[in-house]
Amino acid sequence: MKGALEIVRKELLELRRSPLLLASMLSLPATVVAVPVALLAWLAHAAPPQALEFVQELYRVPAQGGPFAALVAALARNWLPMFLVLPVFLPILIAAQSIGGERERRTLEPLLATPVSTLEIILGKSVAALVPAILITWIAAALFCLGVDLVARPRLGSAPLPDADWLFATFVLSPLLALFGNALAVVVSARVVDPRAAQNLAATTVVPLLGLLVVQLAGRISLGLRFYLGLAAGAAAADVLLVALAVRLFDRERLLTKWR
Amino acid sequence: MIEARGLSKSFNGRRACWDLSFEVGKGEVFGLLGPNGAGKTTTLRMLAGLYAPDAGEAQVAGCAIAAGAPGGAELRRRVGLLTESPGFYDRLTALENLLHFARLYGLPRADAEARARRLLDRFQLHAQGDRLFAELSRGMKQKLAIARALLHGPQVVLLDEPTVGLDPEATREVRATIAELAADRTTLVLCTHDLDEVERLCSRAAFIAGQLLAVHAVGRHGPAALRVRVSLTAPHAAAVSRVAALPQVAEVRAEGTELHVNLRAADAVPEVVAALCAAGARVEAVHPHRDALEESYLSLLAQARERGLL
Repeated sequence: MKGALEIVRKELLELRRSPLLLASMLSLPATVVAVPVALLAWLAHAAPPQALEFVQELYRVPAQGGPFAALVAALARNWLPMFLVLPVFLPILIAAQSIGGERERRTLEPLLATPVSTLEIILGKSVAALVPAILITWIAAALFCLGVDLVARPRLGSAPLPDADWLFATFVLSPLLALFGNALAVVVSARVVDPRAAQNLAATTVVPLLGLLVVQLAGRISLGLRFYLGLAAGAAAADVLLVALAVRLFDRERLLTKWR
Repeated sequence: MIEARGLSKSFNGRRACWDLSFEVGKGEVFGLLGPNGAGKTTTLRMLAGLYAPDAGEAQVAGCAIAAGAPGGAELRRRVGLLTESPGFYDRLTALENLLHFARLYGLPRADAEARARRLLDRFQLHAQGDRLFAELSRGMKQKLAIARALLHGPQVVLLDEPTVGLDPEATREVRATIAELAADRTTLVLCTHDLDEVERLCSRAAFIAGQLLAVHAVGRHGPAALRVRVSLTAPHAAAVSRVAALPQVAEVRAEGTELHVNLRAADAVPEVVAALCAAGARVEAVHPHRDALEESYLSLLAQARERGLL
């Protein structure tokens, strides 16, 4: 597995020297954290009681703790899917470029001419995409929880986040979804010649999660721990299938000969 | 060191090359000559373990290649490949790029660094070691790619179009590098359509147009070495007769002050010059005959076209 480790080392070094790619990876998490926390802070100070009661009613949050507590609970619950989009989306930014990018830069042939195995190449590329994605997701989740707590604690007397849903989603579900997004991106990247097309195709995987977010924000559904447990089981099964598929589809000769 | 028997390869039903058989001895510099699309790169990639042949088999540095089986990691470890374009990472320095590939070839860290620095020195790139690859000139990039092909001490080095697209200065540098390798008795396969390059660097060359047309000795080993053109300061009939009488000379033809001499042995040039001087002629210059390879190449290509191979 020395080859895989060397590929991870090189990929991370390249990432560190790509300020634009880093900026594109950080911009979405920054927005996902800053916007709702700022909105909560504004509502905490300026929103009329009727607005808070409307939120409580729309999302059918239990009455104990008052309208502001209901607002915090609704935000914590409804915004959680956004933190599930991050670990799927972020590795795609790197992984979709992994094989297609090597081909475009003409580095694929020298790479394939080394004794490194197919599994080592896939593993190295995957870990290099997963590690930054998961770290960024965890840091973003921690900053979001901290921001919500800073705003809410003075009025509620305690810190509402992280709760069980958030802990499970962050530490169990996020890595599983990140692996899913990455494996899918590697599969697509190994079969689609144009890295931009590969990126766009792989990025469509976030659409169902965004759909869940929108439907939940509209107050039509309320996702809880049971749903996230089911999602984790599904993601784990999909991960196993996709990684096996990625290794099977990674045809060294085809990668060098297919240009359309 | 290389033994290919009936190698064939097709892509989407189109034959790239077929029934290629040739041998390359240890320490030999072997040329693969042919026009664009003749199957040279495909052949090289089969020998490098990147493509599996559809039919035929080969032994490269002791590793087997068979139909459907491209040869494994051990083959790739024993072969160094110079790809058509250098293929390095722009955001890594020259040294970082070499170290990356050295580790992929399984070299221990300290050994990798020592070898990479030694090769940078050897190719006069030591001052460029800390520069990003993107900042290097074409010639430097190509020399770095040759350095990568040698990093792991391969038994066979395969060079795909090493001077294509380079300016004359860079071409000269790269050719000098290849000549150095040849002098070190490295087994080299040089894939090119540059006849001059083959003439200068190779001992034998295979002419390919999908299939193997011929294998010829070239350079100082080939027929060109047996033909010289001698320039005299003035026509001299007696000197021509004297040279024609030499046992090492097969034929002499005079055209004004120029003598076209066909030798029986490549090392007979001093005897020819001595005979001319003894007859009173003044020798201005002796030129090797450079057109023999080109004549063979063009004639083989014409035959290939007649047979519908091109």
